[in-house]
Amino acid sequence: MTPHDNRAWLLVLPAMALLVVIGLLPLLAVVNYGFHDIFTLNDVHWVGLEWFADILGSDRFLASLGRSLLFSALALAVQVPLGIAVAMLLLGYRRRAVWGLMLCALPLVVPWNMIPMLWLGMIDRQSGLLGPGLDAVGFDHRFTAWHTWALILLMDTWHWLGLVVVLSYAGLSAIPQAFRQAAAIDGASRWAVFRHIELPRLGGALAIVLLLRFVDSFMIYTEAFAINAGGPQDATRFLSIELGEEIKGFSYGQAAARATLYFLIVLAVVWAFIVATRKGNDTA
Amino acid sequence: MIRALALLALAVFILLPLAQAVLLSLTVTLPRDGLAEGTMGLMNYAAVLATPELRAAMISSATYVILNVVLCIALGLPAAYALARFGFVGDRHVMLALLVFRVTPPVVLSLPIFILFSRLGLVNSPVGIALVHALFNLPVAIWILESFIRAVPRALDETAFLDGHSGPSFFFRHLVPAIAPGIGVAAFFCFIFAWVEVVFARILTVTAGKPITMAINAMFGFQTDLGMVMAMTCLSLVPGLAMIWLVRNHLARGFTLRA
Repeated sequence: MTPHDNRAWLLVLPAMALLVVIGLLPLLAVVNYGFHDIFTLNDVHWVGLEWFADILGSDRFLASLGRSLLFSALALAVQVPLGIAVAMLLLGYRRRAVWGLMLCALPLVVPWNMIPMLWLGMIDRQSGLLGPGLDAVGFDHRFTAWHTWALILLMDTWHWLGLVVVLSYAGLSAIPQAFRQAAAIDGASRWAVFRHIELPRLGGALAIVLLLRFVDSFMIYTEAFAINAGGPQDATRFLSIELGEEIKGFSYGQAAARATLYFLIVLAVVWAFIVATRKGNDTA
Repeated sequence: MIRALALLALAVFILLPLAQAVLLSLTVTLPRDGLAEGTMGLMNYAAVLATPELRAAMISSATYVILNVVLCIALGLPAAYALARFGFVGDRHVMLALLVFRVTPPVVLSLPIFILFSRLGLVNSPVGIALVHALFNLPVAIWILESFIRAVPRALDETAFLDGHSGPSFFFRHLVPAIAPGIGVAAFFCFIFAWVEVVFARILTVTAGKPITMAINAMFGFQTDLGMVMAMTCLSLVPGLAMIWLVRNHLARGFTLRA
């Protein structure tokens, strides 16, 4: 049992104080701005819920929300199973697996604004390594909507697969060998071992992977914008791209209302997720 | 056999875009200094290192990332120790708050952070960026350090205190060496999120202190010297590669959700 001691707060206090100043205060400010029309910081008018009603009532917002949700769903559906599969593959290599982990971690250290440049360079028609081949089969990320989607999804997978692999590998390698040996004696199939032994014990690692990948893909900006600026015909206009337009257009009140809504959406998903995992832990 | 082929495919998938960057960085893509387009060599790297703004950008990036890592470890260690060793009023809420801060999208906070930091005089300064990156790095650092401290038997604390060590001397003489790999892993994750981040780094550097990412953006123009851009990109990967190498044997510890 951990001893109860409220003096431990003194140790947590510095970290929490910093997070309150750089996180909570700006968050409260955003919510407050969302209720105002802001021309300059000295010329601010109360507009109540007007911005929120405008945004929630617009078809463009709903369409972007749908696109962002779809993108997150696709990203999770591709990256999580693939990442777990790679982690399991690496697990078989024991000590040499570290080379695989290092390989997978490579894209994580590439600056975000350079990732689309790398990919655009690779599929460039003249000089790209894949460009001439893709051109021959009629791939066109600029004018065909699903090609743009495929490119962004592939790039996002390239970028973030490493995080899924590293965290899944950590979860998998923490499972004592005795569990697998016992299953082997019982003659369990590879799938049964995964389904009944590995997957349940991967819980904590998978939870953080799912959450991080959800929020980061839901708010994808730098990379998606650089590929096709939301096109063709708004086919890749995600939520964050709309927010970026408003900030660039100096309509700060509306941008703040929009930011508040995004934060609430993310918060709702995280909350639902925690409630679900806690229930799962209680019944297990 | 199938496993080896799958790994090979993975390696190609991961390395191909990077190979493209390396290839371009070794090629002259704009005729300059009497060199014809298509000449191969290290000219782009020489050109990057000879440009004062690009050198300044590397120093600026390195400054705020190191500040951020130091800050996150310094504030994260005591907090992680408290969360790993004691129960206290609101401990679960602290964990939940950490999670909420970690998942708050940066773009949501960009405007008020800019206003707040310009009042505090932290715009254009590496200190400002280091502080704001703690928003998502401090929670991660606390999660990682907490799990490493939890894995150390409580007996370590007790014998140290029985031996007459005070709080600070216990921290530095016993706890820090015992969880050194954890500090490495925490530093690695703080490093990768701070080094590559773009949103805050852009809004907080209006006129000065531009980081590598913004310096690269500024290289795009009417006539972009793509070879130089890629040379700069490849150089920007070097610290990341070094970090991966340093923590390679501890990467597999990762971190898990605690809320």
